[in-house]
Amino acid sequence: MIEWAVLIGLAAATLRVAAPLLLASLGETIAERGGLLNLGIQGAMLLGAFSAFIGAYFTGSLWIGLVSAIVGGVLATLLFGVLVVSLDLDHVVSGLAINLLASGLTLYFTRVLFTGGVSPYLGELFGPLPIPILSQIPVLGEVLFSQTGFVYLGLISVPLVYMLLTKTTFGIRLRAIGEDPVTASYLGINVVKMRYAALFAEGMLAGLAGGLLTISMFNTFDTRIVAARGFVAVSIVILGRWNPWGVLAGSLLFGFTEALSLRIGIIFPELSGASTIQLFALLPYLVALVALVAGGRRVRGPASLGKRIGKQ
Amino acid sequence: MAITPLSSPFFNDKEQDNGKDAEYAVFLKGITKIFPNGTVANHDVTLGILKGEVHAILGENGAGKTTLMRIISGILKPDSGEILIDGKPVRIRDPMEASRLGIGMVHQHFTLIPEFTVRENIALVLATSGWLNLKKVDEKITSVSKSMGLEIDPDSKIESLPIGKRQQVEILRLLCQDVKILILDEPTSVLTPIEVDSFFRMIRDLKSSGKTIVLITHKMKEALQISDRITVLRAGRVIKTIPTSEANEALLASLVVEGMIPATVVRRGTPGAPVLRVESLRVSDDRGRPAVDGLSLVVRSGEIVGIAGVAGNGQKELVEAITGLRRVESGTVRLALHDITNKPTRFIIERGISYIPEDRLHRGVILTMGVHENLALKCIGKPPMSRKSVIDRGLVLRNAENLISRFSIKVPDPCTSVENLSGGNIQKLIVARELSNGGEVLIAEQPTAGLDIKASEAVHQELVALRSKGIGILLVSSDLDEIIKLSDRICVIFGGRIVGEFVPENLDIERLSRLMLGAE
Repeated sequence: MIEWAVLIGLAAATLRVAAPLLLASLGETIAERGGLLNLGIQGAMLLGAFSAFIGAYFTGSLWIGLVSAIVGGVLATLLFGVLVVSLDLDHVVSGLAINLLASGLTLYFTRVLFTGGVSPYLGELFGPLPIPILSQIPVLGEVLFSQTGFVYLGLISVPLVYMLLTKTTFGIRLRAIGEDPVTASYLGINVVKMRYAALFAEGMLAGLAGGLLTISMFNTFDTRIVAARGFVAVSIVILGRWNPWGVLAGSLLFGFTEALSLRIGIIFPELSGASTIQLFALLPYLVALVALVAGGRRVRGPASLGKRIGKQ
Repeated sequence: MAITPLSSPFFNDKEQDNGKDAEYAVFLKGITKIFPNGTVANHDVTLGILKGEVHAILGENGAGKTTLMRIISGILKPDSGEILIDGKPVRIRDPMEASRLGIGMVHQHFTLIPEFTVRENIALVLATSGWLNLKKVDEKITSVSKSMGLEIDPDSKIESLPIGKRQQVEILRLLCQDVKILILDEPTSVLTPIEVDSFFRMIRDLKSSGKTIVLITHKMKEALQISDRITVLRAGRVIKTIPTSEANEALLASLVVEGMIPATVVRRGTPGAPVLRVESLRVSDDRGRPAVDGLSLVVRSGEIVGIAGVAGNGQKELVEAITGLRRVESGTVRLALHDITNKPTRFIIERGISYIPEDRLHRGVILTMGVHENLALKCIGKPPMSRKSVIDRGLVLRNAENLISRFSIKVPDPCTSVENLSGGNIQKLIVARELSNGGEVLIAEQPTAGLDIKASEAVHQELVALRSKGIGILLVSSDLDEIIKLSDRICVIFGGRIVGEFVPENLDIERLSRLMLGAE
């Protein structure tokens, strides 16, 4: 019999683990709705994680780390903008180039700045922020209202991004660009400006998603810290059908499998042979594969997604 | 408007007109536009559009009509020259600026987002504040469509509307922007004859409500029928502006085309035995919905069968099914001797089907390869072009030289890459390759779309010559005039079926239109 406390812990961990995925995939949703297929989000998260760590470590202020996370993420997505929006290069190639650049840069600076190429630990972290009164509610208080600021931010961003895309002039124009940028420009919409704006928003969210790994979750930096979360975020966007609410559901699904894989030994003690546990770390990626094959077959994204303007 | 064209300053030779006259809604002065590749699209164009008139801009494809109008609507910038609106010089930086000045354009390819509703498409251009105010958009739509007598449901998705309705949405959107000058680029090219009538009624209504209308067209009949004045453009220059009352078809023809065009005399063919037989064919479109729905037809040797229909009624899928590019769900496609249903494309080509595709740049040629290689594409894999997988380059070159002279393709040398050729010459290249392939059946899909009059005539002559050699031709075209001119039989396609058949001798245009719209 599984204990009640374990389940509550699992639910809370699901949200905690889902937070970086949620922030990143909401950012990617904005970019993809504007027709930009940004695989470089992986690199944007890595740069966000790295600059958050550097900012926090050298100034001793987590808040400066937070701001530098945003700066790092935005720099990466704006570079993607230069390649894809201004120079009209291939989206996939540009995204992968940014990922290579980000891992190269962070590896280099980790080696230069820290002895042995190993980042030290931060003195403090952005810890849980229990919301007064609400966190006292049984079960729900523990699961939902005793999380870090990043989790709250991710959850609040869902309706905000949804409203941005559907209720604002910016949103409807961005979606028009995502369907057909040439037509949008004929209608007097400034495609270049709009796409940079979308990438700016994505950079902020991706930077935060990366930053939270170093300054709220793991306490240190490693070049492999993002793992494949950027690519998972791209799959979540497809799975969530480019809709923020769908993206929330997708993020929770991945958060749940990851949280489950970390707790599998506690929930099923009979499985706790070392190699079996390692195998369960694959679970989120396996779910990604299955979900994409099963749910992603008949979906149609924005019509111009990933296409160069010159090739349309 | 009470002015007669002859007394207007524009026609006064003594007084050099400067366009400052406020009678002109738009006045263009010495507009020149040269594209980066060196094409001179407009050369020193001076042209006045009077307030409240319907002004036709007449010319062949490539005469510079669309470029000129894109300059007025802020999409392109002129290299030199001046634009005056209501007598005042203006600089039109972008389409937003144009719409602030009261200018709006309906492009040949519609600028509606198919996945959006009518309301969203209109909100796209009306929105001024950060938050969308769909209620205000709805009010505007209701009041404008009421005054124009249009019936359009703001909730319908564009992709579910027929072409004629989409055009109305385009115009409705411009009217919602309070546009005073409407520029319409080849507006009737997508309409059936019945839709054209109601479109002309709408133009007259717009005119009587005080709008100025510029109509870009290559059809002389149309210009004569609806306009007040006509400006003829040829090779980027204004040849003449004349009041429509003083124009006739012969005069216009001599202005539009330099020199005489030998009109193809089309005699009817003498059909022989069936060469292509399509029976109860069912094919799905890209989204898995039935596009061809139990269609049957026969093409005999020495016969041109024209498929008339509004685009999107299964023509594309029919052609792709015959040529092996799309899977046949049920039914059969047969050549004289062979069943080619769901056979590989290579097999179908070798059994004698030639194909002139609509999307000639992507399906007809490989743009970055040489003319000689493109001409050899369909026979390069077998002797004598190649032996033991080694290509005989000398033969490829001789084959190209031979075809280039036979079909008078204009190329600097046979190895030039195809991307440097004009549309007309690319089409000649494709025709040359397909015809030299020695098939019994030719599928010609929009064979003259985008070609100028001379190039179109040349293609028509080739098709007729092929027919007299006994080849069976399936002609799919949205140009009804072309279908009527060339076909021995006209089949009307609607909703993936053949809904009617005519022989040109007793063609009932009214009924043909109704059939094309699915009204019978």
